[in-house]
Amino acid sequence: MSLIPWLGKQDGNGTGRTTMTELRNEMNRLFDNFIREPFGAIGDSFAAWGQVMPPVEISETDNEVTVKAEIAGVDPKDLDLTVNGDRLTISGEKRESKETKEDSYRQRETRYGRFSRSLQLPAGVDPQQVTAEHANGVLTVRIRKSPQAAAKKIPISTSR
Amino acid sequence: MPTETVSEHRTKSETEQTRSGAFFRPNVDIAERQDELVLRADMAGATGDSIDIQFEDGTLTIHARVPERTYGRSLLRQEYGVGDFYRTFRVSEQIDPGRIAAEYREGVLTLRLPKSEAAKPRKIQVAT
Repeated sequence: MSLIPWLGKQDGNGTGRTTMTELRNEMNRLFDNFIREPFGAIGDSFAAWGQVMPPVEISETDNEVTVKAEIAGVDPKDLDLTVNGDRLTISGEKRESKETKEDSYRQRETRYGRFSRSLQLPAGVDPQQVTAEHANGVLTVRIRKSPQAAAKKIPISTSR
Repeated sequence: MPTETVSEHRTKSETEQTRSGAFFRPNVDIAERQDELVLRADMAGATGDSIDIQFEDGTLTIHARVPERTYGRSLLRQEYGVGDFYRTFRVSEQIDPGRIAAEYREGVLTLRLPKSEAAKPRKIQVAT
Protein backbone atom coordinates (compact mmCIF):
# COMPACT_ATOMS: atom_id res chain seq x y z
CA MET A 1 0.00 0.00 0.00
CA SER A 2 2.74 2.33 0.89
CA LEU A 3 5.67 2.97 -1.37
CA ILE A 4 7.91 3.27 1.61
CA PRO A 5 9.78 0.07 2.37
CA TRP A 6 8.91 -1.25 5.70
CA LEU A 7 10.53 -4.63 5.93
CA GLY A 8 13.90 -2.99 6.33
CA LYS A 9 12.97 -1.26 9.54
CA GLN A 10 12.71 -4.24 11.79
CA ASP A 11 15.41 -6.52 10.68
CA GLY A 12 18.64 -6.95 12.50
CA ASN A 13 17.44 -9.74 14.73
CA GLY A 14 19.60 -12.19 12.88
CA THR A 15 16.99 -13.63 10.56
CA GLY A 16 19.77 -14.34 8.12
CA ARG A 17 17.99 -12.84 5.16
CA THR A 18 20.47 -11.63 2.67
CA THR A 19 20.26 -8.13 1.32
CA MET A 20 19.50 -9.39 -2.16
CA THR A 21 16.65 -11.58 -0.97
CA GLU A 22 15.31 -8.68 1.00
CA LEU A 23 15.53 -6.37 -1.94
CA ARG A 24 13.88 -8.88 -4.21
CA ASN A 25 11.08 -9.49 -1.73
CA GLU A 26 10.55 -5.78 -1.36
CA MET A 27 10.41 -5.26 -5.11
CA ASN A 28 7.97 -8.12 -5.51
CA ARG A 29 5.84 -6.74 -2.76
CA LEU A 30 5.76 -3.25 -4.20
CA PHE A 31 4.92 -4.60 -7.59
CA ASP A 32 2.17 -6.87 -6.30
CA ASN A 33 0.74 -4.20 -4.08
CA PHE A 34 0.66 -1.84 -6.99
CA ILE A 35 -1.38 -4.31 -9.00
CA ARG A 36 -3.60 -5.17 -6.10
CA GLU A 37 -4.07 -1.65 -4.81
CA PRO A 38 -3.40 0.70 -7.69
CA PHE A 39 -4.96 3.74 -6.04
CA GLY A 40 -3.83 2.91 -2.58
CA ALA A 41 -0.26 2.71 -3.79
CA ILE A 42 -0.26 6.29 -4.91
CA GLY A 43 -2.93 8.07 -2.95
CA ASP A 44 -2.10 6.85 0.48
CA SER A 45 1.64 6.52 0.23
CA PHE A 46 2.32 9.40 2.57
CA ALA A 47 -0.74 9.15 4.74
CA ALA A 48 -0.10 5.48 5.33
CA TRP A 49 3.46 5.85 6.47
CA GLY A 50 3.92 3.07 8.95
CA GLN A 51 0.20 2.62 9.35
CA VAL A 52 -2.48 0.16 8.48
CA MET A 53 -4.68 1.58 5.76
CA PRO A 54 -7.38 -0.82 4.65
CA PRO A 55 -8.13 -0.65 0.94
CA VAL A 56 -11.75 0.02 0.04
CA GLU A 57 -14.11 -0.50 -2.83
CA ILE A 58 -17.15 1.72 -3.34
CA SER A 59 -19.92 0.74 -5.70
CA GLU A 60 -23.51 1.73 -6.25
CA THR A 61 -26.79 0.57 -7.69
CA ASP A 62 -29.91 2.64 -8.21
CA ASN A 63 -30.97 2.04 -4.61
CA GLU A 64 -27.85 1.74 -2.54
CA VAL A 65 -24.19 2.46 -2.10
CA THR A 66 -21.91 -0.34 -0.95
CA VAL A 67 -18.55 0.21 0.68
CA LYS A 68 -16.26 -2.76 1.20
CA ALA A 69 -13.02 -2.69 3.11
CA GLU A 70 -10.41 -5.43 3.35
CA ILE A 71 -9.51 -5.74 7.00
CA ALA A 72 -8.00 -9.18 7.46
CA GLY A 73 -7.19 -9.96 11.05
CA VAL A 74 -9.31 -7.22 12.62
CA ASP A 75 -11.65 -8.37 15.34
CA PRO A 76 -15.17 -6.96 14.69
CA LYS A 77 -15.15 -5.74 18.31
CA ASP A 78 -12.29 -3.43 17.42
CA LEU A 79 -14.17 -1.82 14.54
CA ASP A 80 -15.97 1.47 14.66
CA LEU A 81 -18.26 2.77 11.98
CA THR A 82 -19.88 6.20 11.77
CA VAL A 83 -21.90 8.02 9.14
CA ASN A 84 -21.97 11.76 9.35
CA GLY A 85 -23.85 13.39 6.51
CA ASP A 86 -22.19 12.01 3.42
CA ARG A 87 -19.03 10.89 5.18
CA LEU A 88 -18.48 7.34 6.26
CA THR A 89 -15.67 6.72 8.71
CA ILE A 90 -14.23 3.27 9.28
CA SER A 91 -11.79 3.07 12.12
CA GLY A 92 -10.39 0.36 14.27
CA GLU A 93 -7.34 -1.50 15.31
CA LYS A 94 -5.61 -4.57 14.08
CA ARG A 95 -4.26 -6.04 17.26
CA GLU A 96 -1.43 -8.37 17.73
CA SER A 97 -1.85 -11.07 20.33
CA LYS A 98 0.64 -11.26 23.14
CA GLU A 99 1.84 -14.57 21.82
CA THR A 100 2.57 -13.29 18.32
CA LYS A 101 4.12 -10.12 19.62
CA GLU A 102 6.75 -12.13 21.41
CA ASP A 103 7.49 -14.41 18.51
CA SER A 104 10.69 -14.06 16.58
CA TYR A 105 10.06 -13.57 12.90
CA ARG A 106 11.77 -14.70 9.78
CA GLN A 107 9.50 -12.67 7.63
CA ARG A 108 7.03 -9.89 8.37
CA GLU A 109 4.80 -8.35 5.79
CA THR A 110 1.56 -7.62 7.62
CA ARG A 111 0.90 -4.52 9.66
CA TYR A 112 -0.67 -3.97 13.01
CA GLY A 113 -2.02 -0.89 14.66
CA ARG A 114 -4.80 1.66 14.48
CA PHE A 115 -6.39 2.83 11.29
CA SER A 116 -9.05 5.28 10.26
CA ARG A 117 -10.47 6.04 6.88
CA SER A 118 -13.02 8.67 6.10
CA LEU A 119 -14.80 8.36 2.79
CA GLN A 120 -17.01 10.72 0.88
CA LEU A 121 -20.20 8.98 -0.17
CA PRO A 122 -22.09 9.85 -3.32
CA ALA A 123 -24.84 12.43 -2.83
CA GLY A 124 -28.31 11.35 -1.79
CA VAL A 125 -27.59 8.59 0.72
CA ASP A 126 -29.76 8.16 3.79
CA PRO A 127 -27.55 8.02 6.90
CA GLN A 128 -30.41 6.43 8.83
CA GLN A 129 -30.38 3.35 6.66
CA VAL A 130 -27.02 1.76 7.03
CA THR A 131 -26.28 -1.92 7.53
CA ALA A 132 -22.87 -3.44 8.06
CA GLU A 133 -21.59 -6.97 7.96
CA HIS A 134 -18.20 -8.51 8.51
CA ALA A 135 -17.15 -11.80 6.98
CA ASN A 136 -13.79 -13.38 6.15
CA GLY A 137 -11.87 -10.20 6.75
CA VAL A 138 -14.10 -8.05 4.56
CA LEU A 139 -16.34 -5.36 6.00
CA THR A 140 -19.38 -4.58 3.86
CA VAL A 141 -21.39 -1.43 4.56
CA ARG A 142 -24.62 -0.80 2.69
CA ILE A 143 -26.21 2.62 2.70
CA ARG A 144 -29.58 3.09 1.06
CA LYS A 145 -30.14 6.06 -1.13
CA SER A 146 -32.95 8.34 -0.16
CA PRO A 147 -35.99 7.89 -2.41
CA GLN A 148 -35.54 11.29 -4.02
CA ALA A 149 -32.04 10.32 -5.04
CA ALA A 150 -32.95 6.98 -6.57
CA ALA A 151 -32.74 7.18 -10.32
CA LYS A 152 -36.01 8.12 -11.86
CA LYS A 153 -36.95 7.47 -15.39
CA ILE A 154 -38.01 10.71 -16.98
CA PRO A 155 -40.52 10.44 -19.75
CA ILE A 156 -39.68 12.49 -22.78
CA SER A 157 -42.57 14.07 -24.47
CA THR A 158 -42.49 14.39 -28.18
CA SER A 159 -44.14 17.10 -30.13
CA ARG A 160 -45.45 16.37 -33.51
CA MET B 1 25.72 -17.86 9.24
CA PRO B 2 22.12 -18.94 9.69
CA THR B 3 20.53 -20.32 6.59
CA GLU B 4 17.17 -19.27 5.33
CA THR B 5 14.95 -22.21 5.92
CA VAL B 6 11.72 -20.88 4.53
CA SER B 7 12.17 -19.12 1.28
CA GLU B 8 9.79 -18.14 -1.34
CA HIS B 9 9.38 -20.21 -4.39
CA ARG B 10 7.94 -18.09 -7.13
CA THR B 11 8.41 -19.93 -10.34
CA LYS B 12 5.20 -21.85 -10.11
CA SER B 13 2.94 -18.90 -9.62
CA GLU B 14 4.55 -17.20 -12.55
CA THR B 15 3.92 -19.99 -14.96
CA GLU B 16 0.91 -21.87 -13.68
CA GLN B 17 -2.31 -20.11 -14.52
CA THR B 18 -5.44 -22.12 -14.12
CA ARG B 19 -7.68 -19.35 -15.28
CA SER B 20 -7.39 -15.97 -16.82
CA GLY B 21 -7.80 -14.01 -13.58
CA ALA B 22 -4.78 -12.67 -11.76
CA PHE B 23 -3.31 -14.36 -8.73
CA PHE B 24 -2.61 -12.23 -5.73
CA ARG B 25 0.23 -12.77 -3.39
CA PRO B 26 -0.93 -12.59 0.22
CA ASN B 27 1.19 -10.78 2.77
CA VAL B 28 2.72 -13.34 5.07
CA ASP B 29 4.37 -13.39 8.48
CA ILE B 30 6.50 -16.37 9.42
CA ALA B 31 7.34 -16.88 13.06
CA GLU B 32 9.76 -19.41 14.37
CA ARG B 33 9.11 -21.11 17.65
CA GLN B 34 11.01 -23.81 19.43
CA ASP B 35 9.01 -26.68 17.97
CA GLU B 36 7.10 -25.20 15.08
CA LEU B 37 6.95 -22.59 12.36
CA VAL B 38 3.83 -20.44 12.32
CA LEU B 39 2.82 -18.86 9.06
CA ARG B 40 0.09 -16.24 8.91
CA ALA B 41 -1.30 -14.99 5.62
CA ASP B 42 -3.72 -12.11 5.15
CA MET B 43 -6.30 -13.38 2.70
CA ALA B 44 -9.37 -11.21 3.04
CA GLY B 45 -12.32 -12.41 1.02
CA ALA B 46 -11.38 -16.08 0.88
CA THR B 47 -13.51 -18.70 2.59
CA GLY B 48 -12.19 -21.56 4.70
CA ASP B 49 -13.37 -24.24 2.31
CA SER B 50 -11.83 -22.54 -0.71
CA ILE B 51 -8.30 -22.75 0.63
CA ASP B 52 -6.07 -25.47 -0.67
CA ILE B 53 -2.85 -26.16 1.20
CA GLN B 54 -0.26 -28.60 -0.04
CA PHE B 55 3.05 -29.67 1.33
CA GLU B 56 5.14 -31.83 -0.91
CA ASP B 57 8.89 -32.35 -1.17
CA GLY B 58 9.56 -29.37 1.03
CA THR B 59 7.34 -27.05 -0.99
CA LEU B 60 4.39 -25.45 0.71
CA THR B 61 1.66 -24.15 -1.55
CA ILE B 62 -1.25 -22.00 -0.49
CA HIS B 63 -4.04 -21.40 -2.96
CA ALA B 64 -7.35 -19.78 -2.09
CA ARG B 65 -10.03 -19.54 -4.72
CA VAL B 66 -11.82 -16.25 -4.50
CA PRO B 67 -14.69 -15.57 -6.86
CA GLU B 68 -14.09 -12.52 -8.95
CA ARG B 69 -16.23 -9.42 -8.62
CA THR B 70 -19.66 -9.72 -10.05
CA TYR B 71 -20.55 -6.50 -11.71
CA GLY B 72 -24.03 -5.21 -12.40
CA ARG B 73 -23.25 -2.31 -10.15
CA SER B 74 -21.06 0.60 -10.96
CA LEU B 75 -17.72 0.80 -9.23
CA LEU B 76 -16.94 4.25 -7.91
CA ARG B 77 -13.65 3.44 -6.27
CA GLN B 78 -11.53 0.35 -6.44
CA GLU B 79 -8.44 0.07 -4.32
CA TYR B 80 -7.95 -3.65 -4.23
CA GLY B 81 -8.11 -6.43 -6.73
CA VAL B 82 -10.27 -9.49 -6.28
CA GLY B 83 -9.07 -12.91 -7.32
CA ASP B 84 -7.25 -16.02 -6.13
CA PHE B 85 -4.49 -15.88 -3.58
CA TYR B 86 -1.47 -17.98 -4.38
CA ARG B 87 1.96 -18.33 -2.88
CA THR B 88 4.53 -21.06 -2.56
CA PHE B 89 7.40 -21.47 -0.14
CA ARG B 90 10.41 -23.72 0.08
CA VAL B 91 10.69 -25.16 3.54
CA SER B 92 14.08 -26.71 3.98
CA GLU B 93 13.44 -27.44 7.63
CA GLN B 94 12.27 -30.91 8.60
CA ILE B 95 8.51 -30.63 8.99
CA ASP B 96 6.14 -33.30 10.11
CA PRO B 97 3.58 -33.11 7.29
CA GLY B 98 1.05 -35.25 9.10
CA ARG B 99 0.69 -32.69 11.87
CA ILE B 100 0.39 -29.49 9.84
CA ALA B 101 -2.64 -27.62 11.14
CA ALA B 102 -4.52 -24.81 9.43
CA GLU B 103 -7.09 -22.36 10.67
CA TYR B 104 -8.85 -19.52 8.86
CA ARG B 105 -10.43 -16.69 10.84
CA GLU B 106 -11.40 -13.15 9.93
CA GLY B 107 -9.49 -13.26 6.70
CA VAL B 108 -6.28 -14.64 8.16
CA LEU B 109 -4.95 -18.11 7.47
CA THR B 110 -2.77 -19.51 10.23
CA LEU B 111 -0.63 -22.52 9.44
CA ARG B 112 1.29 -24.41 12.07
CA LEU B 113 4.16 -26.44 10.73
CA PRO B 114 5.50 -28.67 13.50
CA LYS B 115 9.18 -29.44 13.28
CA SER B 116 9.89 -33.12 13.12
CA GLU B 117 11.80 -34.64 16.01
CA ALA B 118 15.06 -34.57 14.09
CA ALA B 119 14.85 -30.83 13.53
CA LYS B 120 14.09 -29.78 17.08
CA PRO B 121 16.83 -28.19 19.07
CA ARG B 122 18.22 -30.68 21.50
CA LYS B 123 20.25 -30.41 24.59
CA ILE B 124 23.03 -32.87 24.61
CA GLN B 125 24.21 -34.24 27.90
CA VAL B 126 27.89 -34.39 28.36
CA ALA B 127 28.88 -37.50 30.21
CA THR B 128 31.33 -36.92 32.95
